[in-house]
Amino acid sequence: MRDLLQEIWESLRRNKVRTCLTGLAVSWGIFMLILLLGAGNGLLNAFLNDSGEFASNTMMVGGGRTSKPYAGYKQGRRIRISEKDMDLLRQEPFSEKVDLISTSLSRSGYTMTYGRRYFNNVTLYGTYPGDIEMNRVKMEAGRFINEKDIQEKRKVIIITHLHAKNFLVGSTDYDQLLGQKVKVGNLSFTIIGVRHGAENEDDRDLFVPYTTVKSIFGLSDEVDGVTFSFHGLKTEAESDAFESQVRTSFNMAHQAAPDDNSAVWIWNRFSQYLQMEKGRNMLTRALWIIGLLTLVSGIVGVSNIMLITVKERTHEFGIRKAIGARPGSILKLIVAESVLITAFFGYIGMLLGMISCKILDMTVGQSTVDVFGESVKMLDNPSVGLDTAVGATVVLIVAGTIAGLFPARQAAKVKPIEALRAE
Amino acid sequence: MLIELKGIHKTYDNGQPLHVLKGIDLSIEKGEFVSIMGASGSGKSTLLNILGILDNYDEGEYHLAGHLIKNLSEREGATYRNQMIGFVFQSFNLIGFKTAVENVELPLFYQGMSRHRRHEMAMSYLEKMGLTDWASHYPNEMSGGQKQRVAIARALITHPEIILADEPTGALDSKTSVEVMDLLTKLNREDGVTIIVVTHESGVANCADKIVHIKDGLIERVEDNRQHHSSMFGTTTIMK
Repeated sequence: MRDLLQEIWESLRRNKVRTCLTGLAVSWGIFMLILLLGAGNGLLNAFLNDSGEFASNTMMVGGGRTSKPYAGYKQGRRIRISEKDMDLLRQEPFSEKVDLISTSLSRSGYTMTYGRRYFNNVTLYGTYPGDIEMNRVKMEAGRFINEKDIQEKRKVIIITHLHAKNFLVGSTDYDQLLGQKVKVGNLSFTIIGVRHGAENEDDRDLFVPYTTVKSIFGLSDEVDGVTFSFHGLKTEAESDAFESQVRTSFNMAHQAAPDDNSAVWIWNRFSQYLQMEKGRNMLTRALWIIGLLTLVSGIVGVSNIMLITVKERTHEFGIRKAIGARPGSILKLIVAESVLITAFFGYIGMLLGMISCKILDMTVGQSTVDVFGESVKMLDNPSVGLDTAVGATVVLIVAGTIAGLFPARQAAKVKPIEALRAE
Repeated sequence: MLIELKGIHKTYDNGQPLHVLKGIDLSIEKGEFVSIMGASGSGKSTLLNILGILDNYDEGEYHLAGHLIKNLSEREGATYRNQMIGFVFQSFNLIGFKTAVENVELPLFYQGMSRHRRHEMAMSYLEKMGLTDWASHYPNEMSGGQKQRVAIARALITHPEIILADEPTGALDSKTSVEVMDLLTKLNREDGVTIIVVTHESGVANCADKIVHIKDGLIERVEDNRQHHSSMFGTTTIMK
């Protein structure tokens, strides 16, 4: 083994320019692939940043106005979604697909006070336990609303970490606040949890049990809307079919035409998610194709150099054969050289690519652009998984082996006297 | 009998067939010093290539130390060459990016000998050739005579049955040529190495005990040259 490596080292050292050119071709291929995929991933991450805020397999249904007359009612009638509509989703044909059902009710314009600290114009948002999953609520401390809170209409409240920080005068030991009382309007609530509130958006709602809001304010059954999560749908067509099934069923319950598209509005996050996914896949595929083509140019570079190498060294192989080198040992020498050179330079290319992704992250990744008044990151975490990087390098090494194998077999096969005659 | 050739025919087919060897019968005993002489194109180099298993032949039989050398695979050929034959070429055929000692070591490398042992052996052979100080030099740093002596050390290191020398003095001046031929003669006399030299120089051929004259692919005559009076330019010089 050591002899083989030494042979290769000598041959590479003797041909510095050739070695460097091959190395450049290989490194460049891997480097471009990784940089391209990294930048592409960063772009995708930045685009799809907000898709992580809610579970993708949810649908929201809210009230609208009818667009056509039906069952003796005129068009333009307001449809109000009520608590009872939740029962629709618990029946056939939805019961087997629907998992969590939640509804919400909000009341704004209150002042929340904690000791001498207060917030004006806060919103009480009455909701169900399922909300934590469907809206991806992130808890910083304590717990979310549970079934018992709903049943007993407990006066419990979940504040955001921005409120909590203010109450604690900058401290982040939110646990101290759990069990403490806050006043909202003239009602007293017990803090049971602190959730993460998005800093840049108007995300300051105080979460309380739905039943609590409803009973305190003596409200009717009307709700803001019904949100539910479901499972078992895969394609966009399935999702759309399910959506229209939901629409028909809500329309029927409210005496609106089954095909009336404006009686209730439906926000199908799953279809939206699938479309986004489709776009993401297309972009990813395009990036991969470009990347692989770059890789191919690296492979061609290696093959080319190996062909020249073998041609140049034919006489040397003739000498080796004359003094007893078996065809196998010639083959091994060439292939090992090819593998070694692609592995070494491929590794360097991979390393440089990953470093460049880091640099990209530290420069462009930190800058933001203003889009419609909102600041949006240009790139978010531009990087390639280690598995992808290593995979690409392995592909190149395998290709390098094959690239070396063909000329090597040729060289191993040639008769010693012919090889000796070559100059 | 170390070498036995019976009715060897060889035809090259490059566009039109060229019948180079037209039935060679030759026997060489162990310890002989034979030269093969002939004009260029007589087939002497082809004969040497066949003897060295560098090339194959079309008809006849070639026995080397009792083994029939015919239709060998590349692998078998390589093994026979490695163990039984040492080559000395006109153009030395040393590997340029290897030092003298590394070149001498190479046949042992293909035998799978350990680094340490083959280095020791190569050094002792270089010492025999008076090249100890040149062991770590590259071929392009050495003179022609030195290079040929490295090549001879490389040929000897596996203790082959025969040394095949193809125009060993072809690239050397007359003084060095004499030195190299003296070396080969000494190896034959003192160590009993079987040597076959192909040459077109009568002075070189004159060093051998037996001269095989080849003409147009056939052996013209075999001359007993134990008296070494074959050269018309005297017995101690090689005319260039």
